[in-house]
Amino acid sequence: MQDNRLYRLFELAVPGILVGLIAGVIAGSLALLVGQPPSWALVTAMTLGVPLAVAGGGFGLLAAFGKVRMGGFAPAALYWLVAFPVARLLHEVLTKLVLTGEPGLPPDPLGFLAFQGIISAGFAIGFLWLHERVAPRWWHKVAPHNEQAGIVFARYAVHAQRMQKAKQARSKPRRAAKVSSFVK
Amino acid sequence: MADSSHVPIADSSGGEAIASPPVESERVWRAGKLEPMPIRKLPEAPPSIHLLGPTVFLVALGVGMGESYMWPRLVLVFGPEIRWLFLIGVTLQAVVMLEMARYAMATGESIFAGAARVFKPLMWFFFGVAILVYIWPGHLSAGAAAFEEITGIPWVVTACVALILVGILFSLARVIYNLLENLLAILIGILVVGTAVIASMVGSWGDLTSTLSGMFAFGYFPAEAMSAQWFPIVVGSIAFAGPSGMQQMWYTLHLRDSGAGMGAHIPNVQGLRNAGAEEKMPSRGFMFDTEDPAEMAKWKGWRRWVTFDALLLFWGITMLVTVSFTVLAQSAARENPDVKGLIEGGDRDAALLAMSDAFASAGGPILGGLFFGFIALIGMNATLGLFDSFSRGQADMTYFFMPGAKKFKMAHLYAGFLWGLITFGILILLFGPADGPSGVLDILAFLSTFAMGAYCIVLLLVNNRMLPKPIRPKIWTNLIIGFGAVFYLGMLFFSLVKFGVVVG
Repeated sequence: MQDNRLYRLFELAVPGILVGLIAGVIAGSLALLVGQPPSWALVTAMTLGVPLAVAGGGFGLLAAFGKVRMGGFAPAALYWLVAFPVARLLHEVLTKLVLTGEPGLPPDPLGFLAFQGIISAGFAIGFLWLHERVAPRWWHKVAPHNEQAGIVFARYAVHAQRMQKAKQARSKPRRAAKVSSFVK
Repeated sequence: MADSSHVPIADSSGGEAIASPPVESERVWRAGKLEPMPIRKLPEAPPSIHLLGPTVFLVALGVGMGESYMWPRLVLVFGPEIRWLFLIGVTLQAVVMLEMARYAMATGESIFAGAARVFKPLMWFFFGVAILVYIWPGHLSAGAAAFEEITGIPWVVTACVALILVGILFSLARVIYNLLENLLAILIGILVVGTAVIASMVGSWGDLTSTLSGMFAFGYFPAEAMSAQWFPIVVGSIAFAGPSGMQQMWYTLHLRDSGAGMGAHIPNVQGLRNAGAEEKMPSRGFMFDTEDPAEMAKWKGWRRWVTFDALLLFWGITMLVTVSFTVLAQSAARENPDVKGLIEGGDRDAALLAMSDAFASAGGPILGGLFFGFIALIGMNATLGLFDSFSRGQADMTYFFMPGAKKFKMAHLYAGFLWGLITFGILILLFGPADGPSGVLDILAFLSTFAMGAYCIVLLLVNNRMLPKPIRPKIWTNLIIGFGAVFYLGMLFFSLVKFGVVVG
């Protein structure tokens, strides 16, 4: 029972996890492309990708349970203002740990965190952009066996219905315009 | 039968809006000398949280070499303070975008149709400029060259294969708009996420603060920038901050095809494979009842929606990418002083290679590869967007205004322009100068910037004369667009007269 609940939570978080991972995967795959050893590429992909994926999944859960406004930029920006610098700090510390055997902070940690905080606004736009594209489809897919996914998808469906109505309006045969006489 | 007693009717010259008495016929809005627009219901606006709009096309088209190369170059030459001009350029483009959207969402017509309502030769001018400026496949070279750096595949081969793939993709797509929106949305999402991650790994607090504070150094203009060498480049960089040339005009077609505002009453353009399923295109757009408060409330919803798109997505992403690339260029110049000389020297390929090398030395080959990966991605986005937009725009003008063109379906005309562009592009890539014959390069650069000044004037005419009064632009908006016209045309002719050079 508990396992099922955890699995359903994981399902809700999948789109956020996926989008969070993308950043790490881009870095890792390009490392391979330019001839780095697979192990080096894997370290980069994992140390950056996993923290971002965990944070992305967390955001996905907040969105799925209606704790943040669906698709709103401000909540996403606030969330990543904290999560992105933390993920980058973990990336720096873990990379040093794996490559040198000793963990170490970047020089000027406060300046580092402040810089990452500002960059996080850009990351938040990209994250939200991709999440909004992927998440509703995924939630729709798992809705038959995941009640919460069905609920959150229903919110998106309201919007989709509006779009559908607009499409139907387009396909209705239109009367030819009978032009009224112009009166000045 | 609808009551026409409250419908605003304009005279044929687009003059005052007045009420007509009840008549036994359909209610219409007359604008210019073309066919009047029947009154229809305005659909409900999507909630502003609906993130993805047709701005995706503008971002794809607009985030190009200006953001990734031209502005970082100016920052290295003149310092971060020069970026206040970028702020002006992009903000001006955001207002232009909102005004383009005004006409397209109110009527379901493109801005080209709006221009034709004012004065038909205006529209044919843009038809000609589009062909002259956009048939040259030079824009493919930067992305394909970056791809060559990563994979070793010669760029001409990549460019030719990409051209054919683009053609097949758009011909097979059932509904072109949906396919392209999905594809570009994913690519741009990856671009934005990736750019932020790279900037976070390479840049520093100092680079970022100097770049950001430079945006507010209003009035800074060093003496060297006022030279024959640099003035045209500065003007060109401002004009090419965000979408340049006719890209803003094409945006109105994407708004219509995405069903924004009254565009909901216009059928979608189909891919060639599904041309048979295409509905007949109405020969004019539609208008909503601007005297009905409920309709005006919906209109306000649509304005909020497009403003959200303009400010957050267009302005925000353009700023993010440029700030990131400027930070990257500053970081590269610090790592390798040769980069500064190469970037200043103006050899784009050498400068990009040197920047990539600098990142590779700073953060391992991965960063060098990532840099080229993103240049290639920017090139691919721009190519996809450009080919679709060009074909869509030319097909639109041909279908509605070329005598006899209505015998064809819009999908056939679209495919004709698309494959014509592809065939010409491949021939030029293989046998000719990709950017266009060197003798006409200046003319092309002139026409591209001239078109931007011209569309500002067209916007003023169309929105103030062809729309009912309640939805016309406010005075401050007109002043900004008027400033745009004076700015683009003024700088263009000043550069020409003072230095004898068109924009760089």
